[in-house]
Amino acid sequence: MAPNQPQQVTLSPAELSFLRSTLVQSPPIRFDHTKGPKDFRSMRAEYDVLPGANGSARIALEDGTEALVGVKAEVEKSQRRPSPDARGNTLSVAAGDAEMRDTDAENHGKGKGQNSWIETSVEIPGFRDDDPLPVFLASMLTESLLASGELKDRLYINSRFHWKLYIDILLLSPPLSYPLALLSMTTHLALLTSRLPALKSEKDEDPLFDDDWDAAVFLYPKNEGKSLFGAAEDKPPVIVLAMAVGPNIIFDPCMEELAVADAVLAVACANATSSSTRARIVSIRTIDPPSHLTPPGVPNSMNSATGGTVPASSADALTQRELLATSGVWTPPRGGMKRALISQVVKIVVEEGGVAEEVISALQAIELG
Amino acid sequence: MPITILPPSAPIATAHLKHEDSDEDMSDDDGLPIQSATSIVTPGETVTSDPQWMRGHGTYVPAETTTIISTVAGHLHKTNKLLSVQPLRARYQPEIGDLVVGRIVSVQTKKWTVDIAAPMLASLPLSAINLPGGILRRRTAVDELNIRTFFSEGDLLVAEVQSLHGDNTASLHTRSLKYGKLRNGLFTSLSGAGGGILSRRGGVVRSKRQTFTLQTSAGEIDVVLGVNGYIFVSAHNKSKQDEKDVSITSLEQGVSETLYSSQNDEIEPGVAREITRVSTLVKGLVACGRRVDEDMIVRVYEGAVDLDAEEKVMGSADRAGGAKGVVEAVLGRLEMGG
Repeated sequence: MAPNQPQQVTLSPAELSFLRSTLVQSPPIRFDHTKGPKDFRSMRAEYDVLPGANGSARIALEDGTEALVGVKAEVEKSQRRPSPDARGNTLSVAAGDAEMRDTDAENHGKGKGQNSWIETSVEIPGFRDDDPLPVFLASMLTESLLASGELKDRLYINSRFHWKLYIDILLLSPPLSYPLALLSMTTHLALLTSRLPALKSEKDEDPLFDDDWDAAVFLYPKNEGKSLFGAAEDKPPVIVLAMAVGPNIIFDPCMEELAVADAVLAVACANATSSSTRARIVSIRTIDPPSHLTPPGVPNSMNSATGGTVPASSADALTQRELLATSGVWTPPRGGMKRALISQVVKIVVEEGGVAEEVISALQAIELG
Repeated sequence: MPITILPPSAPIATAHLKHEDSDEDMSDDDGLPIQSATSIVTPGETVTSDPQWMRGHGTYVPAETTTIISTVAGHLHKTNKLLSVQPLRARYQPEIGDLVVGRIVSVQTKKWTVDIAAPMLASLPLSAINLPGGILRRRTAVDELNIRTFFSEGDLLVAEVQSLHGDNTASLHTRSLKYGKLRNGLFTSLSGAGGGILSRRGGVVRSKRQTFTLQTSAGEIDVVLGVNGYIFVSAHNKSKQDEKDVSITSLEQGVSETLYSSQNDEIEPGVAREITRVSTLVKGLVACGRRVDEDMIVRVYEGAVDLDAEEKVMGSADRAGGAKGVVEAVLGRLEMGG
């Protein structure tokens, strides 16, 4: 489980109780009254902001949170290692080997990518490099990028050389809400607009590149119109945050909403290349919501300042709390997420016209427009 | 539409830049390098070296020179011969008698420290609060032990600035029935707007009434506008209304049992919806660079309710821009209608 927010949420028990009571209503009343449960905070985005990087993007949310991502590619010598092909040569029968070669010509570098070819670093102001928040954010982002396996295969040049991709993610503001979704969207946009110099050499020669930047090829190639096989073009994955409060599911929670979450789910999704649905899920992680750390409210019956009697022992206090029937007292949520809710989240994300499709097409639209 | 992504734009709100001050003398503005309302001066920048000008807020004159240097980043203002720089963002400067909303940061043996958006934390001594039941007596060691039953970390309260110390830290008191712990509602902060002198920009202005009751279709709502830019919108407390006129001598009847309660009353969904609506509109007002006061909130709230109702009838509820978009639409209609 990913770590909670390091900074303690300082909302009073009465506020937490109020926020929760509005969010569990149906339809939920969000902290921003104009937003529905599936609405994202509006954001401003631009790409190609850094001249020295292969691809870069900047996204600013309306609450002032801002992220900057730069993608830098370098040519690196591959470690010599016995490839599965080579081993197959010695062990398998000749017929199967010939078949393999045929497919290899078409799918350049398929299955040859290595996880170490992508390096992600997350920097958040006020945090050390080895603090849990940046480390976990970086590993979750890397995980989603590697999960589909297509990106790392694209970095393959030939058997001796490969591209090494450095993705530097910088949060320019303090993390007001859990910044994973913002960082992921910015990374998505940066990767989408990343270009690599065009390769001029062939096969296993030392790589030689076209020095004309205009001839550079996109890391995620854009095929105009429909491709031959009817498959949609491949796009980098994007992570959306969903949180559960009672029976409701809310996307893109702000800081105040996260403070009363029952459970938070980070869903990484990419567009489906070949399936009936428009999007597919690459990875799912639960995130420990900051609500678990909030102090419980003191009910009137246990508060000496409001005419109640303070329980004699802590065990007594616990029993009284368990028997508490009133709804106006804040009690931190316990336990995780119900299975039905997880499947509901997954459904909302991947369905036709669902959240994943909306987010990916909205990010795509920036590049076109 | 769940997601809106806009192209980058100049982030500055232009509404507050159109200031028409009657006391501004436009005749002799020679020797002033910066005159455009859209340009800003930065700390250390020379505003002018002409000795005819006097220095005001936000400026500094080094010893044995006549150069006026800006000490803050902001817009230049001149009133006759007085030059002042109005900072873009400022913290609240407490003044005696201000009504502020604060949040308890820490609890000490005899006092609480309270965040009131000022440069320094304010303090609230144990002796400056009402005891439950309104008993008037010395604070004993028992009270000191039970200090967390009154206020604990994170609690919101409304208080008045009682005195200022030498280093500009404020001392608060809650010795009135109007003051005390806040519950049954939502907190909004307009950080960076400052108070008082920054009245022309978005933010709370010192006014005659800082707390008022808003009539809504679902019920009454209390709004507390702290001068420090902290705002609390809550369900109307009925019991407060009945015991409004109690003198200091009969405090015990006035100070209700629930003064230090951290438990919310039952709030109807309709009221809760209106509370979030008001709170969102306040944020929208600030995003538009408008001042936040009773008159403005009432007008914008009524406009927003009308707009919402019309959109429901027309069936077109698609509006981009969230809170800011709604407030802009409402303000546009209000200005059209006069």
